[in-house]
Amino acid sequence: MFTAQAAERQQPKLGYRLTALSKPIPAPDFTLEDMDATKFSLQDYRGKVILLNFWATWCPPCRREMPSMERLHQNFKDKEFIVLAINQMEDGDHVFAYTGQLEIDPTFTILFDKDSTVSRAYRVQGLPTTYLIDKKGNIRFRAIGGREFDHPEVEKLILQLMQE
Amino acid sequence: MQASKNILISALCSLAVLSSSHAADVSIHKNKESGLLTWTSKDDGFSIELIQLIPDFIRAIYNKHDFPVDEVERIAGYCLFGTIIQNTSQQQLSYRVSDWRYVDKKGRSYPVKTKTQWLEEWRKAGVTFSWTLLPDSGDFEIGDWQQGFTTVQLDRNEHFDFIYTWTLDGIRHEGKIEDMSCAPASLSTNPSKQ
Repeated sequence: MFTAQAAERQQPKLGYRLTALSKPIPAPDFTLEDMDATKFSLQDYRGKVILLNFWATWCPPCRREMPSMERLHQNFKDKEFIVLAINQMEDGDHVFAYTGQLEIDPTFTILFDKDSTVSRAYRVQGLPTTYLIDKKGNIRFRAIGGREFDHPEVEKLILQLMQE
Repeated sequence: MQASKNILISALCSLAVLSSSHAADVSIHKNKESGLLTWTSKDDGFSIELIQLIPDFIRAIYNKHDFPVDEVERIAGYCLFGTIIQNTSQQQLSYRVSDWRYVDKKGRSYPVKTKTQWLEEWRKAGVTFSWTLLPDSGDFEIGDWQQGFTTVQLDRNEHFDFIYTWTLDGIRHEGKIEDMSCAPASLSTNPSKQ
């Protein structure tokens, strides 16, 4: 977001720590479209652990964490786990061009929250913000700011939630 | 009379316990290509980085999001700083932009305009876009960080001190970055002269 001069600067190192919510919160349901206008609802994934990520192309830490989300997706793609990356207020053409420039082309599901309705429902204040949702549809962990999502500690949390 | 004095002393003692002001560890980085400055301050579990942004960059950002031309120019008339804040402590930390301020060289203090205040003005201008600005407040857990624009409404040539606060373990901390300045109206062809 802050141009090349900011990109050049050393941004905060991406951590791996996700914060456990003191009390699980039911994840608000939503229905959004992907790039091909296919509709996806959160409730379709009940029974899976979900990494729900709010992002935009103009957000540098979103770009930085995206490769780790793809690696995580690859590591768990045959398991009861899914990555849903919800773009904020941008269109498919723009996002398609953007993802083509990333070091790893994302194959996880990207959805479009064109009026930020879903991010408001999740009380997202800034990007990126990420939630880890358990198989019963409850938000269990949260991260504000970029993370390395394929860090062993994050994968351990996901495995724990999958085993519940 | 004595009772009032005791209450006053007690209140002052409480304030001393509940607030803390330290000289921040501030570093300044000058971009070799653009000449633009970045201030980084690290102190007591909280770090803040303020990056000068030129008006043309601001115009590009908001034009891209279909803001009305007048609104784009109004925003570009402010001094904007890319701002990165981070919880570097090992406990929960909170901040409120409404507690932040800047002080010009004549000693006049101004509150930092909040995202909520901006969004209200944007709504009146028919804008629904709600991102890019630093969120008004936040409760940061360990490792959380956030970024967004901070706006300062001073003449582009003025220098000022930026005062920011955060709360850690119930104690309100205050930091100050002295002698900051806005980005120039445009980039010089010779950054070393900026």
